[in-house]
Amino acid sequence: MTILKSADALRAKKVSSLELTNDTLEKIGRENPRLNAFITVTADVARARASAMDAELAHGVDRGPLHGIPFAHKDIVYTKGVRTTGGMKIFENFVPDHDADIAISLERAGTVMVGKTNLHECAYGITSTNPHFGAVRNPWDTDRIPGGSSGGSGAAVAAGILPLATGTDTGGSIRIPASFCGITGLKPTFGRISKRGVMPLGWTMDHMGPMTKTVRDCALAFHAMGGPSTDLSSTDIRGLRIGLPLNYYFDRLDLEVSESVRTAVQTAAALGARIIDIKVPDIDALNVIGRVLLLAEATTVHLENLLTRRADFGSDVVTLLDQGRLIRGSDYVDAQRLRRIYIREFSKLWSEVDCIFTPTTPTPAPKIGQTTMNVGGVDEDTRLATTRLMRAINVLGIPALSIPCGFTKSGLPIGLQILGAPRAEETILRVGAAIEDATSVVGRRP
Amino acid sequence: MTDWKKTAAALDPPIPEPDVEKLLPVMDALEAAFRPLQRSLTAESDVWTGPEDAA
Repeated sequence: MTILKSADALRAKKVSSLELTNDTLEKIGRENPRLNAFITVTADVARARASAMDAELAHGVDRGPLHGIPFAHKDIVYTKGVRTTGGMKIFENFVPDHDADIAISLERAGTVMVGKTNLHECAYGITSTNPHFGAVRNPWDTDRIPGGSSGGSGAAVAAGILPLATGTDTGGSIRIPASFCGITGLKPTFGRISKRGVMPLGWTMDHMGPMTKTVRDCALAFHAMGGPSTDLSSTDIRGLRIGLPLNYYFDRLDLEVSESVRTAVQTAAALGARIIDIKVPDIDALNVIGRVLLLAEATTVHLENLLTRRADFGSDVVTLLDQGRLIRGSDYVDAQRLRRIYIREFSKLWSEVDCIFTPTTPTPAPKIGQTTMNVGGVDEDTRLATTRLMRAINVLGIPALSIPCGFTKSGLPIGLQILGAPRAEETILRVGAAIEDATSVVGRRP
Repeated sequence: MTDWKKTAAALDPPIPEPDVEKLLPVMDALEAAFRPLQRSLTAESDVWTGPEDAA
């Protein structure tokens, strides 16, 4: 059930928060052995919290649409008294003494936390094949990755266990699992949602955001996390200018991905949007800048542990952290100087269009353990291929929404990425809701 | 191009030798892509300091 439907049912007294929570816990018990989406489940605390939320509603205290709704935090968000591992062996017994800002915001909104979701180790990767807590599996095909790093959040929402989970996105970590799992994920504008109390990976590119089944739920959760309220009562997009990149984003894609995204473009046009061909600045350059920045920042975050507890990291993460040790300070600063130039260059596009449509990922979900993939006749490293349409957006800091826009013949979800100008989350959520309303993609279940 | 083996060995502590080999192709490719961008910078190119720089 979506947040909206659950909220209506709660207020109509057709269901209680405790019943929703017990149902969620039962689904975790049934699905988690198959998906490994959760590292920690907080059943007793969740039941007590749900009862308290029911009592509030019974006494006329209504905190809004998320009141009494079960959800989960990515296990990188500090939760007071509940262990927060970051998917790392080093933090396997770490229990924070305070909540992250986002945990406080969602608690104030009345949510019921049922647990913490599995992720790629320290959020530094796209597979969520975690060497310490096990591989998360994609509910659409359990031989495949759910994407990452917020893979547990993506798998849990896609499997219908929860209507909401939190995610972080430093190079696609919300949008990639949203694409591979067939759900909605919003990476807001840089700095819009507080990161205080969330384990960092790259300070200048980390973003917090919601992962939900539908766009309307995503808008509600974004507001509860500290974002502005979004009015989606009307999803009229007539006259809206949608940019369609002529360069880069459609150059090398899985054919079914390309077809689905172009169908979404046609849907938007049929709804009255104006489709405008655009040329985007050098995305390859932005990706290179982003890699230099992230290598240096992530290694700085984890340097002490890398030097003292190297064997406690997975081999893929160690390799990336070692690469970061080789980045010169002057190269890092130059990458930040280049970033400013490209941000200004990209921002000129917003005088031509209101949003931009691209694929989220060039392919559907790869198999677990697949290290290379052939995309459009070219063999690519799976991590670099999967982040190729993502990373630049973190460098730019602009908002990006991923929604499901179709399925492959083999039944794997395909994601549409909608980019907006800084602080234009309302626009991309409105376009996403319009596309969602006009298609039947969201109704499909694994 | 940077001699990554030499750089890795000079770090304190150095990156373990068996692990350095697998870094080389990635670092070479990254450097080959980054240096031309770097050369486009001018004395007026200021550093990014936050979201307001996008304005």
